Amino acid sequence: MARAKIKRGSTSVDMTPMCDVAFLLLTFFILVGKFKAEEAVEVTPPSSVSNKTIVQKDFFNVTFDKGGTVYLDMDEAIRRDVIEELGKERNVQFSPQEMDAFAKSPFVGVPINQLGQFLKLTPEQVKGTKLPGVPTDSTNNELQAWISAAKAVRLGSKLVYTIKGDNGAKYSTFRNVIESFKKNDEYKYNLVTSQTDVPEGSELYQKNLKEQTEGSK
Amino acid sequence: MAEMEVKEKSKKGPGVKKGKKLSTRVDLTPMVDLGFLLITFFIFTIRMSEPTAMNLSMPKDTPDKNLDTKVKESGSLTLMLGKENVIYYYFGSDPATMQTTTYKDVRDIILKKKKTTPAEDFFVIIKPDKDASYKNAVDLLDEMTINDVSRYAMVDPTADEYSKIQMTEKAAGIQ
Repeated sequence: MARAKIKRGSTSVDMTPMCDVAFLLLTFFILVGKFKAEEAVEVTPPSSVSNKTIVQKDFFNVTFDKGGTVYLDMDEAIRRDVIEELGKERNVQFSPQEMDAFAKSPFVGVPINQLGQFLKLTPEQVKGTKLPGVPTDSTNNELQAWISAAKAVRLGSKLVYTIKGDNGAKYSTFRNVIESFKKNDEYKYNLVTSQTDVPEGSELYQKNLKEQTEGSK
Repeated sequence: MAEMEVKEKSKKGPGVKKGKKLSTRVDLTPMVDLGFLLITFFIFTIRMSEPTAMNLSMPKDTPDKNLDTKVKESGSLTLMLGKENVIYYYFGSDPATMQTTTYKDVRDIILKKKKTTPAEDFFVIIKPDKDASYKNAVDLLDEMTINDVSRYAMVDPTADEYSKIQMTEKAAGIQ
């Protein structure tokens, strides 16, 4: 009886298509994404439907985390002027070294009287220590002083005030921050959020749809 | 996994040296490995979505009561944010008629009120209390954008409203 012959297939697989796919994905990710910038404080902002991108120039940013600690950072261009102004307003003498260190430091997370010590820390040390944050309570509102200094430096041209809060933060922290701004007669802020889609069928969705169809006509 | 070389039968006679034919196929496995390694690296280091900014304008505090924005009682909806993602709301100016809702259902309430009131009278007052989270406040502000509410304000609850919220929370067992 003749036996049916089973043809032995080769065990090696052609890797070319897989290689194509891998590099295609790689190209996609490189083009779509942006590198994560090193951030001072890890904060997950709440989501919103806003699609306005955040301003990176002439900004003054207040960040607060879950525990209610307030940090602030600002555009590199104004840092030196701001600390000089703050020194004048608060009658604190900052040495030139401290000012240089401040111009380089990415953020502030301590009361003004501890600033000198804070500026001596290396970035690694900053990460390891628990910072007290900038005081915002009504008896000693240093955030207000910072805002006032930044405002004085930037008289004439506009600063963009951004507020970045953590999802889990309490509203009272946010309220304190807003109050500090209000005391300086600043009423317009940008809240940092992560973008989500507009819910389908909602009024904004329909409005956007209408604008789109009108635009294409 | 090297490719098998297929032996070709020589048609040349004896004594003629065979030129050994090398396979033109290259093993791509290491290249695939490298590709996926790079992909993994990029996925971990890349930030896909840029943060966006939401505009917020607060009203100026005026000590003069006459300068406060006037809101018609018939067109106002007050939303108070409490602990544990609960919203308390009432229409008009009587906090005693306060009802409870969640973030999922608040959209329907806003829309219903919006449809039944003239556009120029409709006003939403958002009152986050001390225990509300920042996310809740932003969510509601976002809800205003989603539902195309043009007139709204964010203020603190009155002492009366706050004590009422606390009483309700206590009764509902929310810590």
